[in-house]
Amino acid sequence: MRASTILAILLPLVPASAHAQSTTTSDTRTFTVNGSVPGTCAVGPPTLAPGSQNNFRGLNGSTLQIDQLVDTTTLSTKAASIDVRFDSICTFPHRLMIESQNNGLWRTSERSSTPPEGFGYAVPYRALVRWARESLRLNADATIRRIADSSVFVRGSAIGDIELRLEIDSGSTNEAANAPLLAGVYGDTIRITLEPQ
Amino acid sequence: MNLLSLALAAALIAGGATAASAQTTAEAGPFPVTGNVPNLCAAGTLTGGGTAFDLGILSNESTGRMRRDLEATPKILTAAYCSTASTITIEATPLESVNNTNAPPPGFSRRIDYSATASGWTNVAAVYDTGSTSNPAATQSRATAFQGDITVSIGTFSTNGGDILRLVADPAYQGIVTVTLAATT
Repeated sequence: MRASTILAILLPLVPASAHAQSTTTSDTRTFTVNGSVPGTCAVGPPTLAPGSQNNFRGLNGSTLQIDQLVDTTTLSTKAASIDVRFDSICTFPHRLMIESQNNGLWRTSERSSTPPEGFGYAVPYRALVRWARESLRLNADATIRRIADSSVFVRGSAIGDIELRLEIDSGSTNEAANAPLLAGVYGDTIRITLEPQ
Repeated sequence: MNLLSLALAAALIAGGATAASAQTTAEAGPFPVTGNVPNLCAAGTLTGGGTAFDLGILSNESTGRMRRDLEATPKILTAAYCSTASTITIEATPLESVNNTNAPPPGFSRRIDYSATASGWTNVAAVYDTGSTSNPAATQSRATAFQGDITVSIGTFSTNGGDILRLVADPAYQGIVTVTLAATT
């Protein structure tokens, strides 16, 4: 006698409709990419604007040397001017400041001696600065030897050249106009600063 | 009526016993046995740190332009698998300043483009370039089931608008990279 056995296997049956369609399963991973850009202000080295030199020898490193400070016919100050540029950037709202250490060109030697009357011993000059649609003027009038400065606030980021123009008028001294200048080496130190605000 | 039904049932039982005793073969079946393995994909377990590609400071502090040495440690999705044919797709959004959303002034940019790559799953890696308007290589297909690791990396950074541009300051620049593993039949 041959007996047939019914073997029941219970399986979770997939509905017919599921067999008929293309099932797609996906998995996703998400990553972030992070970074930051800090505020940066940078002032590049000075370069001369072409054709701007009047009675200046030029630029030696960061030193500007006047060719002839004295007019040999008047013995007083000879006019001079020059334009200097600084490739610069500031990625913040910032303040542009120009500072004269001596408020004019003063003798760098024999400072303790009393100058003779009628002679000039300091030379005033003007510094004109243009940067990011702002302009700045510093009159280093040489009346008192001190630090003199001027500044302007610049909204937003800026990029380009800081344009500095120095002007020395003919015959200008810290004494009377066209006074003869005492012999000596004259100098001043100018600082230009971009300061994030 | 009920009495008649019972009698008929008894007759049928008796009849069955008679057939067995006559060596008659009875057969049932075949009975099909079926099961189902669904299409399934899992993108694996992340190793290599958290979910962030941290690039740190993006700009050269002396020039304000994008650093040329930007890099980030790749992320590894280990033991990813798909039980059938599959596609891997990578997408990315550019790195953009989060807080400083104004239009950048002339000479500046607030966006860095880069390429995001998912490799190891297909012969040709899936690549998405945020600076490109078309990214046909962002999706790659695999014809067979597979398991393995997926390496997710970013690189080829460039300032949107040109590398001559400076980046506007912002403490947070952010982009998103998304990797999707999908089963197909």
